[in-house]
Amino acid sequence: MSNSEKKISLPSEAVKIYQIIDENAKISIKELEKQTKLDRGKLEYYLGFLVTNELISRLEIVSHQISLTNNGKESAENQLVERRIVKILKAKVSVSFADLSKLVKTEDKEMNAGVGLLKKQGLIKIDKGQISIIDKKKEVNKELQIILEQLLSSETVDTSDFNEILLQRNLASLEEVKDILLEILIPYKEVSSSIQKMNEVSRLTPEMIRDGSWRDTRLREYNLKASPPTFYGGRKQPYAEFLDEVKQKLCALGFKEMRGPIVELEFWNFDALFQAQNHSAREWSDVYQVSNPKQGKLPKADYVENVKKAHEYGYDTGSKGWRYKWDPIKSAQLVLRAHGTSVSARTLVDLEVPSKYFSISRCYRPDTVDATHLCEFTQVEGIVVDPSITFRDLLGILKAFAVDIAENEQFKFKPDYYPFTEPSVELNVLDPNLGWIEFGGAGIFRPEVTKPFGIEAPVIAWGLGIERLFMVKNGITDIRELFSHKFDWLRTAKMSRG
Amino acid sequence: MVSIKASYKKMQEMLGKQLSIEQLEDLLSYAKSEIDQYIEEEDMLVIDIKTSNRPDLWSPEGMIREIKGILEEESGIPEYEVKESGYVVKVDSQLASTRPYIACAVAKNISLTDYYIKQIMQLSEKIDYSYGRRRKRSSIGFYNLSMIKSPIEYKVIEETHEFIPLESTEKMSLERILEEHEKGKEFGHIIKGYGHYPILLSADGTTLSLPPVINSNDVGKITEETTGSLIEVTGTNFETVNVVLNILCQVLVTHGAEIYSVKIEYPPDIYTRSVITPLFDKEEIEINLDVVNKYLGTKMKPKDAAKLVAKRRFNCNSIDSNILTIEIPPYRKDILHWVDIAEELAIALDYNKIGPTKWKVLTTGGLLPETESENLVRNILVGAGGTEVLTNILTDPEILTTRVNIDKQDYVKIENPVTSTYSVMRKMIYPLLINVLSKNTHETYPQMLFEVGEIVKLIDKKVVTQSNAAFLCADADASFEDTHKRLNQLLSLLDTDYEIKQINHPSFTEGRCGLILIENKKCGIIGEIHPSILENNQIWVPVVGFEIELPLIPSLKCNVKSTD
Repeated sequence: MSNSEKKISLPSEAVKIYQIIDENAKISIKELEKQTKLDRGKLEYYLGFLVTNELISRLEIVSHQISLTNNGKESAENQLVERRIVKILKAKVSVSFADLSKLVKTEDKEMNAGVGLLKKQGLIKIDKGQISIIDKKKEVNKELQIILEQLLSSETVDTSDFNEILLQRNLASLEEVKDILLEILIPYKEVSSSIQKMNEVSRLTPEMIRDGSWRDTRLREYNLKASPPTFYGGRKQPYAEFLDEVKQKLCALGFKEMRGPIVELEFWNFDALFQAQNHSAREWSDVYQVSNPKQGKLPKADYVENVKKAHEYGYDTGSKGWRYKWDPIKSAQLVLRAHGTSVSARTLVDLEVPSKYFSISRCYRPDTVDATHLCEFTQVEGIVVDPSITFRDLLGILKAFAVDIAENEQFKFKPDYYPFTEPSVELNVLDPNLGWIEFGGAGIFRPEVTKPFGIEAPVIAWGLGIERLFMVKNGITDIRELFSHKFDWLRTAKMSRG
Repeated sequence: MVSIKASYKKMQEMLGKQLSIEQLEDLLSYAKSEIDQYIEEEDMLVIDIKTSNRPDLWSPEGMIREIKGILEEESGIPEYEVKESGYVVKVDSQLASTRPYIACAVAKNISLTDYYIKQIMQLSEKIDYSYGRRRKRSSIGFYNLSMIKSPIEYKVIEETHEFIPLESTEKMSLERILEEHEKGKEFGHIIKGYGHYPILLSADGTTLSLPPVINSNDVGKITEETTGSLIEVTGTNFETVNVVLNILCQVLVTHGAEIYSVKIEYPPDIYTRSVITPLFDKEEIEINLDVVNKYLGTKMKPKDAAKLVAKRRFNCNSIDSNILTIEIPPYRKDILHWVDIAEELAIALDYNKIGPTKWKVLTTGGLLPETESENLVRNILVGAGGTEVLTNILTDPEILTTRVNIDKQDYVKIENPVTSTYSVMRKMIYPLLINVLSKNTHETYPQMLFEVGEIVKLIDKKVVTQSNAAFLCADADASFEDTHKRLNQLLSLLDTDYEIKQINHPSFTEGRCGLILIENKKCGIIGEIHPSILENNQIWVPVVGFEIELPLIPSLKCNVKSTD
């Protein structure tokens, strides 16, 4: 044999594996894993040597294994339905369908099948709805019953004669089993003399580089086909990364960032925004109240005084105001920031004119958490101020958001309502799959909001539905996924820009 | 937002045209409403109305009134004749400090099908609940006129007074109604706050209702057979009760009813005079069209503007060069300032037709130093192999305490949580990261995760928001070095000297935990998580990690945000 004359270089591990395969003649890779106690990656690596030298063959096989269905299991345990019927009939002269059904204790469909089968085999007769047995001595489907019981006790059974009936009667199903089969091509003893255990040089060492011995050493080939071990490098959270992008885009559009505290005074969350103290949005069901401490300190007295006047009679804005007695104690209560607009409200103090601001902030509402609601969510909000700015400019800013941030050229505006802006507008963009979706809202702050802080110029307030945009872009349907704890997603979510 | 149900077929009938759902939705946008759902089998639309200050829009009749204006089928304030009914309501001065105001009207020639009766009841409920602040500010009652004799008394009565309330078969005392009747339990607290019982009585002593809790079972009901009804609104403010009454009358007029006024006789300590309701106060507001044009960026002429306000169901009573005097319909009390009229004009012009303009003022954008600092730390921790996670700031007290061996701490708590799962504010992040690890024990190790995020805590009884960074490493081979080397890299890249001082902390193993000190100030903690915590969270590998407060790293610019 030509092989025996040629030297074959193999790592010692590969030789061991060769011997195991030789002993078995044929072995599945799973079994081999068990015997060698090597992980799949290493094992495949060594098998590579044996396959390249044509000592063994590596065959991917798909086999079909027959296994019992629930129905099959039940029949194995409690006998096939036709056998149960026969047993009952043997004890009686005749039985009606209804009584039989009670005695057999199975679904009617199942029982009718059993009766039909017996009738076809000529074992029973049906006369005026009464069923009786013809031959009491005859056994029915005994072999099939045995097969079922053997399958149940997981004995190795040759089912080939019964496969058709097992599948037809939904007693068993065929499952696909994938395996890799290793088969010996040349027995170990035929080549053992020509095997040369390779000097295992799998690694290039610093010493080898320094002393030049790498020149006399053959470095073992890598198995480039082997799948790499799993590896998860560090990465940012996909939603956080998306928010970073949005921040970047807003900065590029000339917006300055602003931030505020999470626990907020009602003053900034509501009063400064001209929301009357008995407004329904300020009720327990709509805003989280803080219990310790309950109160904070109100800001500079003249701002508070001006806001109070705006509520009570409109201050010097020309507004009627809400005409009630404004309560500073209510205003000093602490709540969880319910909208990003409270951050904008804080920015009204010492506001630069002209300027553009944005904030990305966590906000809170007492909602029951489900696929469309979070009690802690992200809002992107901001303001634009300039003495010359108009409502049509506001529409222009929204257009820029649709085009630059939602990356959508198709948009439309609808009238909207916010207690603190007038006029108010909703921005819709056309999603190719979902139709028109709400992407943002905006308006010009009412003078009752801006004048108490000494601002004469119009201030545009805007907000964007950024969570929805992220979900649409990434095919996420459950909003809870944004804060997902699943490592599987955190590690593997794609970074495409959708 | 208010949500109502209405028949799609009947909406089209009232509009007098066939419309697709999309066409109807487009028109509804002018009434600040949108279709949330259409249930075809039931011919039912669920409509969301976005305005909380326009109860006149919370019925199909109200929306259609608005739409007909836009379609130029009707214009200006809808008017109807009001005759005197001869009915009088006498108000008791004892009510002055509690629920003094009442407005009433009589409607005759009513012929309402069951559908429209249900619609009116739906409108009343929505107004009571939202605009009426769950009946505290105002509440509505409808009565069968044929069973009522004038003068009607609105007065205070003793708790032993009895009548048969709606949904009941037996006479109950007022006291018992509050204790036992479903509505008594729901709204009784309003009356309990008064310290006395308000009652509405017919001249013959028949009880109409116990406002704002419940009507009487026989008088206080309208059905398909009812042709005449007394409508009553009580509340804490005259303007509110009158506007609510106006809204209801306007809806009934749409269906062909005739409205008759009722004289309310107030004692001098409540109102200076008797009032005839429904009162049309013909409120006016002046707008300067030059100012409005500048505000909107439009070029309307006075005559166009007059037409446009009529389209929005206002009347323009006079034009004096650029000053327009606009009359507000009696069912609207949301017009406080000329900006409100500016919006009406913009809607009448159509937002999509006036279109966007490009504002050309140049501004420079940029991130705050806080965010830039956080990003720096995030980048270093990603480089250190960490997987970033986002967890909730509002969280479960159990995750923050018992699950990390901590008894009790001064967390900022929520007074009205929906569930305890979201009821306290975190002041450290690492307990939430341990929670994340406990949910991922089936995933491959090592697991290295971090979060840079906000926390809320008390400093000298003041609530502040600040940013922390926490890093955890979970692995069969994890050791203190794994976390120490990463902290060291983080702080040395941030050019910050630090020391670690051994301490004991319940979350960490004794002798394997240290405080991180920068310039002798405590600014974080590092160590190996206590095995009892791992066991408790069913994490079966060692976990090491650190948490550090970013405002205390001098080279960063992370300010603490104080609420005050």
